[in-house]
Amino acid sequence: MSTAVKNQLRVCVLSIKYNIMKEMINKVTFLTNICFMMLNNASILVQWFVLFRLRKDVGGYTMREILLLWGLTAASFGLSHVLFARVFSLPELIISGKLDSYLVQPKNVLLGVMTSSTNISAVGDLLYGVLLLSLFCSSIGRFFLLVLFTVTGTVIFTAFALLLGSLSFWFVRMEILGRQLTMGIISFATYPDGIFRGVSRFLLYFIIPVGMAVYHPVHIVVRFDAEMLAAVLLYTILIATAAAAVFYRGLRRYSSSSLMEARM
Amino acid sequence: MRKYAVIYRSVLMENLQYAANIAMGFFAYFVFIFIFIRLWEYIYRTPEEVIAGYTKAQMIWYVMMTEMIWFGSNAGAAARQVTMDIRSGNIAYLMNKPYHYTWYILAKYTGEWSIRLPMYAGLAAVIGAWMVGPVPRFRIVTLPAMILCLILGITINAVFKICISLISFWIEDANPFQWLYDKLILVVGTMFPVEIFPAALQPVFKLTPIYTVCYGPAKLIVDFSADKWVEIVLAQALYLAAGCAFMFLVYRKGVRKLYVNGG
Repeated sequence: MSTAVKNQLRVCVLSIKYNIMKEMINKVTFLTNICFMMLNNASILVQWFVLFRLRKDVGGYTMREILLLWGLTAASFGLSHVLFARVFSLPELIISGKLDSYLVQPKNVLLGVMTSSTNISAVGDLLYGVLLLSLFCSSIGRFFLLVLFTVTGTVIFTAFALLLGSLSFWFVRMEILGRQLTMGIISFATYPDGIFRGVSRFLLYFIIPVGMAVYHPVHIVVRFDAEMLAAVLLYTILIATAAAAVFYRGLRRYSSSSLMEARM
Repeated sequence: MRKYAVIYRSVLMENLQYAANIAMGFFAYFVFIFIFIRLWEYIYRTPEEVIAGYTKAQMIWYVMMTEMIWFGSNAGAAARQVTMDIRSGNIAYLMNKPYHYTWYILAKYTGEWSIRLPMYAGLAAVIGAWMVGPVPRFRIVTLPAMILCLILGITINAVFKICISLISFWIEDANPFQWLYDKLILVVGTMFPVEIFPAALQPVFKLTPIYTVCYGPAKLIVDFSADKWVEIVLAQALYLAAGCAFMFLVYRKGVRKLYVNGG
């Protein structure tokens, strides 16, 4: 059993490695993509400098919490797009019947699909996030918390995209709505939860997983709360399990388009 | 001009078929507007408070209008298609056709936003009326003047985006430059009016495309004045002329570097 898991992990790591190496063929494009994405993210700080000139806090957040919020969002979003970029374009594979090449491989289908592509500009997001989070690594405990929340955030973002993407097994045109919802999460995740009230706050914590992916982690890093930490971990396990279950349930409905395709 | 009119009409008819797909993008617009409504409700202590010369309703309407321009004119021809044509070598076929490639792209782009923009304008009007109330001091007679300003702004934006995409002649992927340009427009001109920035920076921002692309049209919608309109339209005419000249220059220099592998 452990050999099978080891082999599977080795295949995943190799797949990710070759995806990145493929993108590195053109070094100028590779580097400009990463550097400009970091600059692109950093330019948003202008918005917060403007807002903090008007009010001392926005939704209970000062500049320090905003940097932490951005750090966690960028690192989680970046890592999910570097490792599992294909999940975010899963509907395209399903609708055009391009899953065949994954189904015939003697390895786990879901992991094979998830690790089959990378988004190179997301390396810029990841580096930007890590840079911001490094400002908060004042102790070993903090360091482990930040690493843990980057991983839970990555799992939540990926699982949510997988859940929405898998709906394409049942419904056509889900890809547009899925993309909008996935990008909607990122929009919400870069603004403080204190500005949202009532129904919107409920939705952000219980339906759209921004609360568990980013808001709770920010609160825990600022002031440790074991109950909140347990809630984040439990939610991460639940959403990952649900997403995998929905994918495999949907896979039973998948019909091939008899497209000849080689995966290299 | 007739051939460009034919291109425009064919793209318009094609996009009409995909109106439902465009409507599915409304969710992202709604999310953005919803966040900004909540943000400004938090920043403004009272609805009567004035920040940088804008009341709360004017500030929210300003963001709604700039976002409407952003989402409504976010058509693929000006940015994605030019880059892809150059990267894939498809431009070798298109540049031999009996039209100028850049005019062809502009005609296509105009056909794309001619469907998107009115749809987003309708959505903005509904969300605004529901969540904010009517636009303060809005007069229907000024609408044609605003529309002219809006069209000029969108065209200037397209010209600049084409110029950036033409960088693909030199480096393979111009997308990173598009991100930076988009972010400049988004952060400085879309999220906030120019007046909210420190006084020393405002004249600098007025010299950038921000003033003609998003600030100008949105400012006129929330706070119209004839003097301001003349000032903005003159600036747009200058920008458009200079932008087009620069676009033709970059294109002429770029095609000399074109290397086609054949196939």
